[in-house]
Amino acid sequence: MNLRRYVVLRLLQLVPVTLVVIIINFLLVHLAPGDVSIILAGDTADPAYLAAIRERYGLDRPFLEQLWRYLVQVGSGDLGLSFRSREPVFAEIMSRVPATLLLVGTSLGLSVIIGTVIGTWIARRPGSTTDSVVSALAVGLFSVPVFWLGLMLVLFFAVQLQLFPAMGMSSVDGPREGPGRILDILHHMVLPVLALMTVSVGQYVRLARSAVAEVMGESYITTVRAIGFSDRTIMMHYALRNALLPVVTVLGLQLGLVLTGAVLTETVFSWPGLGRLIYDAILARDTPVIMGAFIAMSVTVAFASLVTDLVYAFLDPRVAL
Amino acid sequence: MVPALLALSRRAAFLISAAIVVVTVIVAVTAPWLPLPDPNGMEAAPYEPPGPGHWLGTDNYGRDVLARLAWGAQLALIVALVSSAIASVIGVILGSISGYFGGTVDALLSRTIDVFLLIPSFFLVLLIVALFGSRLEFTMLAIALTTWPRSARIMRAQVLSLKSRVYVQAARAAGASHGRTLVRHIIPNGLAPIITDATILMGLAVLTEAGLSFLGLGDQNAVSWGRMIFDGQRQLRIAPWMSIFPGIALLLLVASFNLLGDGLNEALNPQLRRLAARATPKPPMPVGEARPATPGPILDVSNLRMSYRLDSGQIMAVDGVSFRLQQGESLGVVGESGCGKSSLGAAILQVMAPNATTVAGDVDLGGIPILRDGRRVVSHDREMIADLRWTTAAMIFQSAMNALNPVIPVGAQLTEAYRLHRPGASHKEALARAAAVFDLIGVPRERLGSYPHELSGGMRQRVMIALSLLHEPKLVIADEPTTALDVLIQDQILGELDTLKRQMGLSLILISHDMGAVAETCERVAVMYAGEIVEMAPTETVFRSPQHPYTKALLAALPTVSGPCRVPAGLPGEPFSAGETTPGCRFAPRCSVAQDLCRSSRPPRVAVGAGHEALCHFPAGSAA
Repeated sequence: MNLRRYVVLRLLQLVPVTLVVIIINFLLVHLAPGDVSIILAGDTADPAYLAAIRERYGLDRPFLEQLWRYLVQVGSGDLGLSFRSREPVFAEIMSRVPATLLLVGTSLGLSVIIGTVIGTWIARRPGSTTDSVVSALAVGLFSVPVFWLGLMLVLFFAVQLQLFPAMGMSSVDGPREGPGRILDILHHMVLPVLALMTVSVGQYVRLARSAVAEVMGESYITTVRAIGFSDRTIMMHYALRNALLPVVTVLGLQLGLVLTGAVLTETVFSWPGLGRLIYDAILARDTPVIMGAFIAMSVTVAFASLVTDLVYAFLDPRVAL
Repeated sequence: MVPALLALSRRAAFLISAAIVVVTVIVAVTAPWLPLPDPNGMEAAPYEPPGPGHWLGTDNYGRDVLARLAWGAQLALIVALVSSAIASVIGVILGSISGYFGGTVDALLSRTIDVFLLIPSFFLVLLIVALFGSRLEFTMLAIALTTWPRSARIMRAQVLSLKSRVYVQAARAAGASHGRTLVRHIIPNGLAPIITDATILMGLAVLTEAGLSFLGLGDQNAVSWGRMIFDGQRQLRIAPWMSIFPGIALLLLVASFNLLGDGLNEALNPQLRRLAARATPKPPMPVGEARPATPGPILDVSNLRMSYRLDSGQIMAVDGVSFRLQQGESLGVVGESGCGKSSLGAAILQVMAPNATTVAGDVDLGGIPILRDGRRVVSHDREMIADLRWTTAAMIFQSAMNALNPVIPVGAQLTEAYRLHRPGASHKEALARAAAVFDLIGVPRERLGSYPHELSGGMRQRVMIALSLLHEPKLVIADEPTTALDVLIQDQILGELDTLKRQMGLSLILISHDMGAVAETCERVAVMYAGEIVEMAPTETVFRSPQHPYTKALLAALPTVSGPCRVPAGLPGEPFSAGETTPGCRFAPRCSVAQDLCRSSRPPRVAVGAGHEALCHFPAGSAA
């Protein structure tokens, strides 16, 4: 009962974010130099298509009515048409989601696990040499430009050692189905996942480290030490459990950064996901696609923060639902 | 030695990153005058690998990579400075307004901040640049417009905590306008974390610009490291140096910004340093080499000294404490906060904070040596104390809200503790035992499934006591068990402890600042001041004829209900701070009867009666 109310309340909080993002989109298009219909239809559009776009967005109507139309359109899932393919932007975006999800999901999962393990490990002795060195390295990792790291991986593993493919998600002449195809995709995933993971793992090392170190200073940890639990049990069973809460919270907030990394990584590796779609749209100045991607990414991040809040509420009994 | 080296290594990271930023600034500023080729000149041969002519090689147009790197530094720094400056200014203004005025303004602004925090910056920047063109000004403005909520949120929190400060209230009372109060009194005092975060924003801005340039959205007329990598990407196989060097430059600069922010954060945040402070314990002593325990008492502490390592140096929290406790006996340890009484309890069970260590003294617990000369006694690498914790000696911690794990039901905390020391016990047995101790202390069994926050303060403290009784220990150390509770519950719980003590033949150490609480429960009292026991005697004796001036002052501060109504006498002066050193008596500066001798030489420990000793030159009876 209470849970349902909480979820509904939290879902309602998605509305202002979505509204703000749509309004920003609308204002930017109108503020941008040049004719709105050309921005939305492309330089090369024929008069018939231009007229169709004017009609679609009501560009000859008063400003506020245009805004209202746009809000209703986007609200109903209509993100406009790509002027390259003349296909709905929403469908184009959805068709690219699986590839991006595979890339982002795998690297995020790996970096959270690896980062938490390393962070917990160095938090055993905050201030030790190991801690100082690993912490500084973690800072180094999230300072690496992900696209450059991608290039370096290509240079080393694809060009020099020829161990992994440098681009794409599958080989042109590779198997089309079955375990062979899965292996082929896994083979193609190694380098992009490695690049994306390396950049985000540093964040989780630092997060887990400070969370665990902080928990280790709490009174309830002194209690279990006094009871006689071994350092190992205290670390793994008690400290980590309590320290996971802040890690979960940040997970949602950081998704924006991870998606940014994904776009850049996909560009380097020609990974057929959203990032690649955005890159191609930029090259072709396909504004409706860039606008749609911005809305899609914003809603995704807002939704992820909602999910983290729910997970947090589920993990921490102190959060009264 | 080791800590000093560590501090240095941390500072080394800070210094190196500061040096990298300074060098980048110098290179960027002096780029036009450095003996480098024109960054856009195409005189040299294309694709020339790094060598004496061109240290970092040339690109596909024959442009010198090193020269372009130097000019690229200019752009990176401009982006870093301008974007983070704009973002910080917007953040400081909106954050202070939101925090200062509160109410509807705050509700509106903080909702806006929350919404903007969720918008992924890079995609908005991408859209802005795609619509308005790849001009550097737009890029910087776009970065600022998407990163200001960070600073705003920090500033809002700062203002919220600053606006109730006395000097701010005073300024308002003196007639300063809202604007003046904010600008003169609040904002300058709240800027430190904004500056820290700005260095991190700088790193973020540099990376964002590089990312944009890499996607081909950078300013076409500027030399940018991101743009260089974008160009190099297509020549990766024939001229890898084109992309390797600008990437390294980016990495170094961004990492330096981040490490600088980190270092500043640590310098400004004592909490972080406290977490990092650690004391190196003395090496453990094998049980074979240790003097065997004196038979008889359940606890024998002799000349125990324990120190904390702090930024400012070492302080001796427990300084030469000795006492014995017989089975079934109870001892109250009394003193002001900071006198070392809680540290004493932690030292006995060896659960000190990481920055604390015992430096001297012997402790026997239950006839087993656990500490010799400040060294933990071990048998085959296992501390002797390990098997005694909770089975021979248990502890009741103050403030059960923090001493119980907030995310585990109390029943589970009890059963886990039970099964730890009874490895064969089933979950059912553990649950039965937990229920039994709940009965003992008067907590309803239904509460086994509750989380600590669902219980009242008194109930929580009872759960803590139940936890301590799980394994029927011989000794219970109760550290301020009732401090956080209201007087009625305090009395109830102390009464229950007293009953349990009699029923189970427990030995009890009650650590408290409250003479009254100790008088009710304990047979003997030890008064602690500045890490030392200044007076120890049977409870009655202490109350009837206190010998140490400090004990007298403590007793005088005790309000009475039965006697004539009087204002409790306070103790003048500040408590002895454990960092100070004095050749004389530590209490002398606050003592009303101190003589010259007290200030110049250490007082002796004198026996003033049966089982009654005082650390004083002039114990009450012999005062001249």
